[in-house]
Amino acid sequence: MTVAEAPPKEKTDFVRLFLTQRIPLLAVLIVLVVVTFFINDAGGYLTAPYDFDYMSASLINAVPLAMLGLAEMLVILSGRGGIDLSVGAIVSLAGMVFGFAYGMWGWPLWLAIIATAAFGALCGAVNGFLVSYIGFPALIATLATFYAFKSLAIVINNQQPISTEPIQQLFSLSKSVEIPIIGQYIPDIPLGIFTFLLPTVVAVWLLMARTAYGRRLYAIGTNDVAARWSGLPVRDTRFKAYVYAGLISGLVAVVTVAQFASARPDAGVSGNGMALPAITIAVLGGVAITGGIGRVAGVVLATLLIVWLNAGILLAFVGNEGSQYQLLALGAVLVFAALLNGLTNRKYGGAQ
Amino acid sequence: MTTVAEPKAPRTSKIKNLPSPITGQELVLVGVIVILWAALAVSTPAFLTAGSIQPLLVATAPIALVGVGMTIVIITGGIDVSVGGAIMVCSVITAKTLVGSGVNLGVAVLISIIAGAVLGLVNGVLIAYGRVHAIIITFGTANLFMFLGLRIFGSGTVNGIPGTLGFFGRGPDGRTLGVPHAFLATVLITAAAWWYLRHTAGGRHFFAIGGDAQAARLAGVRVQRRVLLAYVITGVLVGLASCFVIAQGTSTLDQSVGSGKELAVIAAVVIGGTSIMGGRGSVLGTMLGALLVQTVSSGVTQLGWRSQLSDLFVGIFIIVAVGADLLRARARRNR
Repeated sequence: MTVAEAPPKEKTDFVRLFLTQRIPLLAVLIVLVVVTFFINDAGGYLTAPYDFDYMSASLINAVPLAMLGLAEMLVILSGRGGIDLSVGAIVSLAGMVFGFAYGMWGWPLWLAIIATAAFGALCGAVNGFLVSYIGFPALIATLATFYAFKSLAIVINNQQPISTEPIQQLFSLSKSVEIPIIGQYIPDIPLGIFTFLLPTVVAVWLLMARTAYGRRLYAIGTNDVAARWSGLPVRDTRFKAYVYAGLISGLVAVVTVAQFASARPDAGVSGNGMALPAITIAVLGGVAITGGIGRVAGVVLATLLIVWLNAGILLAFVGNEGSQYQLLALGAVLVFAALLNGLTNRKYGGAQ
Repeated sequence: MTTVAEPKAPRTSKIKNLPSPITGQELVLVGVIVILWAALAVSTPAFLTAGSIQPLLVATAPIALVGVGMTIVIITGGIDVSVGGAIMVCSVITAKTLVGSGVNLGVAVLISIIAGAVLGLVNGVLIAYGRVHAIIITFGTANLFMFLGLRIFGSGTVNGIPGTLGFFGRGPDGRTLGVPHAFLATVLITAAAWWYLRHTAGGRHFFAIGGDAQAARLAGVRVQRRVLLAYVITGVLVGLASCFVIAQGTSTLDQSVGSGKELAVIAAVVIGGTSIMGGRGSVLGTMLGALLVQTVSSGVTQLGWRSQLSDLFVGIFIIVAVGADLLRARARRNR
């Protein structure tokens, strides 16, 4: 009835833009967070300076977070309640495999990394097989494998972490480096960004935006019945989404081992685990829990938002209060993002 | 002839509408538990003694009790992954009250239940009226509850909790005729919930919502209110379960309380045969699922294996239980 009346005002266009396009909203939120902490820093309210060096150093936390966020994106995109609760447990178990291969059996680093990634993919294949070929609800299948992988990771080496000489030297992988040529003008950046995060981001982006597989994944996530009647290999496509998620988790295992300088059997499941923050990042990044909607850029921006927010919170409080307020921030941001998604769905028929 | 048949017709249809009082899955679970107990009794003579069975039942109680609420939530097509955080909040509030003002048993239980109900209300309002996917909202509130719990903890643990809640504990105060009170309360509440879900209109509405919320609404079910109620019931049971958790522990409550309990509860519900897609499930199965999980973890310890191995078995049980259900559903469709 009102559709034919006067064209929508510019203001509503802005609102619409922010509600339906997750990327501008995240960009604005990031600027808001950074500016807030800069002002707090200038006012001397923080326990240490919040500057570009600190922001750059905190990016080391973005590496596992963004990679697992992308892994969750792939499985959530595949639709039919797709979710992977087991990524943290895969990180633990694959990390132990890496510890054995590189730290104990003395394999060359490249071979150990490939073996770890392949092992992660194998764990993902178990999930994918259960979900896609047998028809388990994803929540159940990955809950079961979460328990199984978690238990195996702890039992496999009698609860002991592996931190032999080669593993300890891996810590250099997570140090910050100066970028050639322009390096003296910008802060040093953690090496993990270049060796693991960027390749993963680029690979997932190419997969989703430039390959037929990516199109198929969006198609089955949007409507898998229609996709099947269009002749798409629905089961195979969904299966591979879980395999890729496992593969990325395997790579994260290597990053985590390097970061701790030790292959810890509970690396991915201690405390809150790694799956919960990863799902949060994916949802915050605009991935619809119902499948078929989600972009790489959204996940990356959501990671930056959470990482820089957490880094600032850590400086704003004394002692372990900071880590408590990080829980508050994560929860509040997730509920806010979910309510926003719901509102957007009702008002504009969904985010893009 | 027709006059004889007519009064019979509604009765037969009523019986047909109700599922059988015990499902095949539950019978299988009973069988598995009996076999496990028998096997454990043979291999470790200490298993079938009061000193071993009583702690097993006491440890089952909180999981099974929260599982009753979780079953109702999952029947409506939702899920609540915030119960671990909620247990933390309820138990720390109750423990601090016990230490601070030395209230009696009834008041302590009431405080815990009220705290749980408020947390359940928060989840319920957000899910029913915010119309957002339950798993996302409860992931969010799980973080918020954990924050709240840790803030109330302050730094460190709550020490010197008096034995007021011993009525639900492991000690001799916690038993009547050898049956632990915590387990007895859980059985009674499960029985009440079983009757409510099976024999009242309100209970059947939960199944209707899980089957098809839109159809349920058109049939006159107040969907949002029922969904809200499901989460509040869970919250109330979390409150009571938190009292059991405090009673089971020592006089010290540390910050890891409730951690990971949400997955244990969901595992018990799923092993009990409740469909994660909603519309189908039973609290009796959940009770048996919780008992099975606890039997396994108790058995693994008594056999002298690594206690973490029990998680592997839990994973395998989930796969087998749900896999059997999937195969049966496939057989039904093909028939």
